[in-house]
Amino acid sequence: MQDHDFDRRTFVRRTGAVTGLLALAGCLGTDDDDDNDDTTEETDDDLEAPAFPEVEDPPDAVYVPTHRESMRMLEPVEAGDYTIAPMLSYPHPFWILTGGAGGEGEIERNDPEQMDGVHMMFTLWDDDTGVVLPVDSGNAIRVFRDGEQVGSPRSAWTMISQAMGFHFGDNVPLDDHGTYTVEVELPPLSTRTTGQLEGRFTERATATFEFDYDEAFWDHVVGEVEYLDEEYWGQRGALEPMDHGGHGDHGDQQEHDDDDHDHDGHDDHDGHDDHDHGDHDDGRDDHHNHDDIPYSALPAADAYPGTLLEPIDDPDTDLPRSGDAAFLATLFDSGSRLVEGDDRYLLVSPRTPYNRVPLADMALSATIERDGETVADTELVQTIDGEYDLHYGASLGDVQPGDAVTITIESPPQVARHQGYETAFLEMPPIELTVPEG
Amino acid sequence: MTLPDRSSLSRRDYLRALVAVGGATALSACVSESDDVDVPTGTDDPDSLPARQHAWNDALSRDDHGNVQPPEHHVLVALSLIDEPSDDGRERVEDALEILERAYEWSNEGLVFTLGYTPAYFDRFDDSLPETVDLPEPEPLTDREDPTFDEFDAVLHLASDRSQVVLEAEAGLFGEADELNGVDVETGLTGVFERVEDQRRTGFVGEGLPAEHTELSGVPDSIPDEAPFFMGFRSGFDRSQATEDRVTIEDGPFGGGTTQQISSMDLQLRIWFEQDNHYQRVTKMFSPEHADEELVGDIGEALTSTNALTDERIESTQDDARTRGVVGHAQKAARARVDGEPPLLRRDFNTVDGESPGLHFLSLQEDIEAFVRVREAMTGDDLGVANANNGIRSYIFVTQRGNYLIPPRSLRALPPANPTGDDSSEET
Ligand code: HEM
Repeated sequence: MQDHDFDRRTFVRRTGAVTGLLALAGCLGTDDDDDNDDTTEETDDDLEAPAFPEVEDPPDAVYVPTHRESMRMLEPVEAGDYTIAPMLSYPHPFWILTGGAGGEGEIERNDPEQMDGVHMMFTLWDDDTGVVLPVDSGNAIRVFRDGEQVGSPRSAWTMISQAMGFHFGDNVPLDDHGTYTVEVELPPLSTRTTGQLEGRFTERATATFEFDYDEAFWDHVVGEVEYLDEEYWGQRGALEPMDHGGHGDHGDQQEHDDDDHDHDGHDDHDGHDDHDHGDHDDGRDDHHNHDDIPYSALPAADAYPGTLLEPIDDPDTDLPRSGDAAFLATLFDSGSRLVEGDDRYLLVSPRTPYNRVPLADMALSATIERDGETVADTELVQTIDGEYDLHYGASLGDVQPGDAVTITIESPPQVARHQGYETAFLEMPPIELTVPEG
Repeated sequence: MTLPDRSSLSRRDYLRALVAVGGATALSACVSESDDVDVPTGTDDPDSLPARQHAWNDALSRDDHGNVQPPEHHVLVALSLIDEPSDDGRERVEDALEILERAYEWSNEGLVFTLGYTPAYFDRFDDSLPETVDLPEPEPLTDREDPTFDEFDAVLHLASDRSQVVLEAEAGLFGEADELNGVDVETGLTGVFERVEDQRRTGFVGEGLPAEHTELSGVPDSIPDEAPFFMGFRSGFDRSQATEDRVTIEDGPFGGGTTQQISSMDLQLRIWFEQDNHYQRVTKMFSPEHADEELVGDIGEALTSTNALTDERIESTQDDARTRGVVGHAQKAARARVDGEPPLLRRDFNTVDGESPGLHFLSLQEDIEAFVRVREAMTGDDLGVANANNGIRSYIFVTQRGNYLIPPRSLRALPPANPTGDDSSEET
């Protein structure tokens, strides 16, 4: 099902779907290939997998993938404190971490074992705050057809994709067409929660949804795959979040700039802050609640209080990077709600460049040095806050202007990756910062 | 119950399928399939048998490395009392079990068995269990499970390398066979116990047996041919098992007994074999260092009588969680060793009950508390590692739990809660 020699024009003719709807986050322009305005009806009923071209020699950084996957969104379901939005696409490759000791062997491409089936995904969030919950304490998915369980239960992988942000997902083989019922069992959240999320998600909850797996589904999801113009493949940059009104009507879309270093403006790209998703009435989405599904973007750097720690080497991006992840590190004034007593809170928030997707399940620690002496050395605890969202934090008693702060990445984010993220966030050298004077 | 289709199955698989079905028709099908086998007979002298019901190890065969070889076929017969325990009932149960001992040698080739009792069984007595027995009601042991509980009275665990034997023994006890290996069945359990049919559980363990189930959609073709367990590795190495002495209750009226914990779980093998690679499987089953240093081999054959968990590899669990983002199942479970000794004697076996792959995880330990402690270490919530990288926990789905007391042989027939009645915990 890989197709390295894929001919874009042929594919466009076959699916008839690509009509200038592509938008890239950050810096790329839209794909204006609109030589085919046909509707998306796919009459060919072969179960043909869409091509999955790979980029030759991609950078060790976030890069523009070859295509944007299409999907069907189902109605969000509430389950206990959780709200969950199921989404379905066709089975496709993704990358999982292998737990290797580092380097290239650490991640491996994972191809669907069969094309019959779906790529099942869901986003999980807190409806009160709109915070997407980017961690897994052990979800269990059971699939039923006509009351009979299909296959064994499974735990979906935690994943990040440029278009969808953080989500849970897996390729789920289905041998027959029909109506399927899915039960998603969500355990209590074991990650530290603070602010409005404190004391929430302490009960197990089960969400149930149904979907039809048939030719119409297949035509829909396969028919709407959007392939990017080959010239963009593998360039540094990212697809626009799909819930972000980014289907070609984005006012502040910038032209692509070949200068790899000129991405900094885009970390501040506004729009993601309040989890609103703009509106888009491009008529492609035959679902209702699309606009209610938050994209897992972290707040922009200027939304965090306290003293922003400064990189020692002036980076050419506005936030320092490691393994292409952008690191926001800020020191809250003493006595904030995130600490006991008068301590200061060190909040470190690693995120993907461009789309600010949270990078979960890392192991981070911080070392504070003053005049060459270590004054503190502490693990940073993964935390989800109602306001600051996913971050890693520690309470510090003694920290002063001029102190050197080193953030060590003991292990990279243990989340599976969609195309465009699999070469980034792997080898992650420490980040050297200082507490600014005055 | 309908019998499996003989023509579509290998002989071994057919015999396994017959065990799963059970009953007189399955037995006769099984007998005609295996009529030439000679099953060693047992003993007329019950006193020659060990005082502990769970004393299996000395009777079982060992592999080249000295690891105990568990019998291939297993049945867990769930039992519910018909009347309250009486001396008459006790006599019948004891007689019935002695018939099994006369009929079959206490060995892999013959039959080994235990009869264990639930907390629900002991609830009926005015006395409570002596303090020397720790047998709480089963409860969920992780945040992620919602199991049903074994609330019937007792479970009979039958195990043999011969599928015919486990079937026949069960049939004999329940009036479906008149003769067991040449011994007349004068007494059965009928009238004392009835079987809880929907709780009958079966299984198998042994090199090559799991790979015979690839016709099930939950069992991928990529399962290694020689694997003895569904997840593809050997288990139960001598040095990572508690001895029978260690799991035996020392004092009190039930001294010589043990506690048994049975948890049943579904297994997700397609992700395990189709998405994870061998390196990942070794990492998640054993430890990252087992994978880096290739200590395991394809299915564990490179390990001999130990799982190669040195103190250093066990101690590095927390470190591996931080620096590798992944920990191994055996590694983190071994954190619960006490003075370097594993507290559990695991006698788990594979199952395809419900037509999908699973495991009946059966373990013996001195007290249930020991199991709970090991299970907590195995769950590893303290490690702060992503669920999918936390050993094998994202591949196992617990559906059922039960706790049992396995009394010493002398008290195996309908024991009262406090047999000597002189324990301090007694409230008379
Ligand atoms: C499908 C489920 C399971 C599989 C495939 C499995 C497999 C294994 C394997 C391959 C080993 C290493 C070999 C050995 O030490 O004998 C092991 C060790 C162990 N497992 Fe499991 N296991 C499973 C479930 C469990 C459960 C539910 C527990 C409950 C606590 C458990 C407790 C242990 C313990 C205590 C050890 C030995 C640790 C030590 O060396 O001290 N396992 N298991």
